[in-house]
Amino acid sequence: MEGTKKGIGQQLILSEEIYNGIADILNELAGNTRADTIIFCETNGYPVTYKGDIKDLDLPSISALAANNFSATAKMASMIGERASFKFLFHEGERTNIYLSNVGFNFLLMLIFDKSVALGMVRVFTNKAIQALTKLLETAKAEEEKSKEFLDLEFKTLLGEELDRSLKL
Amino acid sequence: MFINHGLQELNLKVVYYGPGLGGKTTNLEYIYRELDPTLRSELVTLKTKEDRTLYFDFLQLELGRVKGLKPRINLYTVPGQVYYNHSRKIILKGVDGVVFVADSQRSRMGDNLDSLLDLEKNLIELGYSLEEFPWIIQYNKRDLPGVQSTDTLQAKLNFFGAPHVEAIAISGQGVIETLKRIITEVIAKVSICID
Repeated sequence: MEGTKKGIGQQLILSEEIYNGIADILNELAGNTRADTIIFCETNGYPVTYKGDIKDLDLPSISALAANNFSATAKMASMIGERASFKFLFHEGERTNIYLSNVGFNFLLMLIFDKSVALGMVRVFTNKAIQALTKLLETAKAEEEKSKEFLDLEFKTLLGEELDRSLKL
Repeated sequence: MFINHGLQELNLKVVYYGPGLGGKTTNLEYIYRELDPTLRSELVTLKTKEDRTLYFDFLQLELGRVKGLKPRINLYTVPGQVYYNHSRKIILKGVDGVVFVADSQRSRMGDNLDSLLDLEKNLIELGYSLEEFPWIIQYNKRDLPGVQSTDTLQAKLNFFGAPHVEAIAISGQGVIETLKRIITEVIAKVSICID
């Protein structure tokens, strides 16, 4: 993964290998916590992968809301003198709860679970998963330059054609 | 920009910036209304009681595959009111391209300038500058009587010569052109850096 600044925005690239590793960790977390849904997303709200039931859930929207929720509370943390963002956010509903935590600087983990599931258990297993995810993401190296080579002028031309096709009203 | 090779997705973030009541949300509402539902997410709006944008609006578009990658374009608006600057900074984080929606009415020139300077200040804090960053200006509300001429708007606002589009967002005129233009600008910057 990487971030570059040359008049273009930050770039993050995730390889297929790392993606599969993340999926394995989320599978284990789902088994341990009995969470209904687990969403792993990038801190700008791009969903990376999920486990469980999302049939009634608009994945891009809930990921965007979670990411901006986390960013807003991180700002609140800094305003009260905290050096880092809050370790986790917990939203308690009448039937369903949400637990949200960051994974390093670039990713977030969100668990949606029934009220009957003990928060303590969610915390313990989520922390364990975060450690495993952090370690996995630290090993994500290289391939980045190669990974974005396809974003060349040919890509730009083909994207222009696709924009004309998709956005024809 | 976020490339997920696991799902073969390319994610881009485009932010609609500009003075309050300039038409940022109207742009997204038009795209949401007119686009095939299979190509877009739901429109998320976080508004005040007075129906003004409180935090942001969000809409994701999904295009067909290009060279094996599925582009997902994430559109955000920021709240235009001056005192929501913290919110604007948060929304700008990770931005790949900006659409500055200027209000063409003569009385709004000062607000346009204030908002543009606010954008530049916030981009500089993120390590970017308007001189290099992919952005375009949309001159909105061209249908209203007595609006500034495009030449005057260009002279007073477009000091870096960014591409511009004239629009009447409420009827959709110029909205899709703006969207296509900013996506093309973002990809052009990246492809130039690679080639």
